[in-house]
Amino acid sequence: MAMDSQAGQRSRFETIWREHRLQVLAYCLRRVSGADAEDACAETFLVVWRRLDEIPPEPRTLLCIYGIARRVLSNQSRAFHRRGRLHERLTNLGVAPSSDPVDFVVQGAEGRKVAEAVGRLKPTDREIVRLDAWEYLTRDEIAEVVGMTRAAVDQRIHRAYKKLSRALTPLIDQIHSPPVAEKGGT
Amino acid sequence: MTHDQVRELVRRINPIPNPNELETVDVPVPVLERSMEMQVDERPVAQEDRGNRWRGPLIGIAAAAVVLVAGLIYVTTDRDPILAPAPNAIELPGEGQTLSAGAYFADTDGSSETTTRGTFVIEGTGWYSAGNGPVKEGMSIDSGVYVWLSVGELDRVWEAPCAGGTSAPAGSTAKALGDQFAAMPGFITREGLTPVSAFGHDGYHLVLEVPADCTASEQYNVWLSKNWGERYYQVEGQIVEYWFLDVENTTVMVEATRPPETGGSTVTELNSDLDAVLDTLVITP
Repeated sequence: MAMDSQAGQRSRFETIWREHRLQVLAYCLRRVSGADAEDACAETFLVVWRRLDEIPPEPRTLLCIYGIARRVLSNQSRAFHRRGRLHERLTNLGVAPSSDPVDFVVQGAEGRKVAEAVGRLKPTDREIVRLDAWEYLTRDEIAEVVGMTRAAVDQRIHRAYKKLSRALTPLIDQIHSPPVAEKGGT
Repeated sequence: MTHDQVRELVRRINPIPNPNELETVDVPVPVLERSMEMQVDERPVAQEDRGNRWRGPLIGIAAAAVVLVAGLIYVTTDRDPILAPAPNAIELPGEGQTLSAGAYFADTDGSSETTTRGTFVIEGTGWYSAGNGPVKEGMSIDSGVYVWLSVGELDRVWEAPCAGGTSAPAGSTAKALGDQFAAMPGFITREGLTPVSAFGHDGYHLVLEVPADCTASEQYNVWLSKNWGERYYQVEGQIVEYWFLDVENTTVMVEATRPPETGGSTVTELNSDLDAVLDTLVITP
């Protein structure tokens, strides 16, 4: 019986791993650079294995795993900041590698401004915006991942997009406005 | 600009717009336990027809994966769950005593008959002992502009701290204790109760924000430890981060109290100092 139970647990974990590994890796890669993301992904699934009994069935499985990954990345971030002095020195020398994967894909003034504006949001608001825009989660699903009520998520999304809109409108207007004709000359 | 337009702009900077593009990457398979290593046979099969859009980054990621897959077995099993506490730690001095830089331990129940302790390292100056952990003030404790790390075993938890009322015996497992805190009405949930592995043990993590009209008085007690006394918070907006951990036969709570986020650079500095201590914390049975 014990063997059956163990095999069942293992089988369930393997199914979860097969079904969700790419989404979880993508979630991590969207937030930290390659090596750290893979480390976080593996650690997340380690927690999933240990807490398999508490992982809800589909379709809520991935939401729960996103919540775990979020915590793992938060712990990782804490460790990263501890290494901050070295990073700071490297930055001063102009050789510090970027830890934000967005830096690798963003091209052009528009993308950079969007990334900067998102980066200026409060951490929880930023995460909610990413879950909405990048992971394509519904408001109810976001509420489950971040452990908030649906109303709180609605409020934060509204506030965050309003803030982003204020920050980005001048930029977009500037980019899309027709070039100003030069004065003088005939 | 509408919110949909803003969302579209944010979507354009998504580093991984399509997770299926990652199928060429061997996602690291965690080693689950020393005695029961998982073997997943169905490795992703590379497909012939793929766009080149992500080829560049994927080559880098795949190269890293080659090294990591080999190294991960060592990394995951060696790092977790067994962590080494700082050597030569001394017991925290009495409440109010200044802490110089060095390694300290907090006895989780204050009893010499048990050995469970939280060991951590203090760097820099300005810290003093609260008996069950270190405190550093930016302003006075009453202002809420301070950081406080508590490591201990609880005896009672108030069911509705903001409404006074009664306390109940503290949950005897990490989950039960976490559920008690997560259910406290009035507190604002910053991050819900989530399973984690932290400080060498499995448990749960929760972040609450202190609400208005629930501070600065013993009538708003949140928890009680027979050895470390009662705990209430000082001002609205304080952030309290909890870890509830199963440590062999006991349940240990790690509480990190942070100032309201409105305090500018002092708050940033205090949080950074607290994070540095948390980085070194290890709970040993």
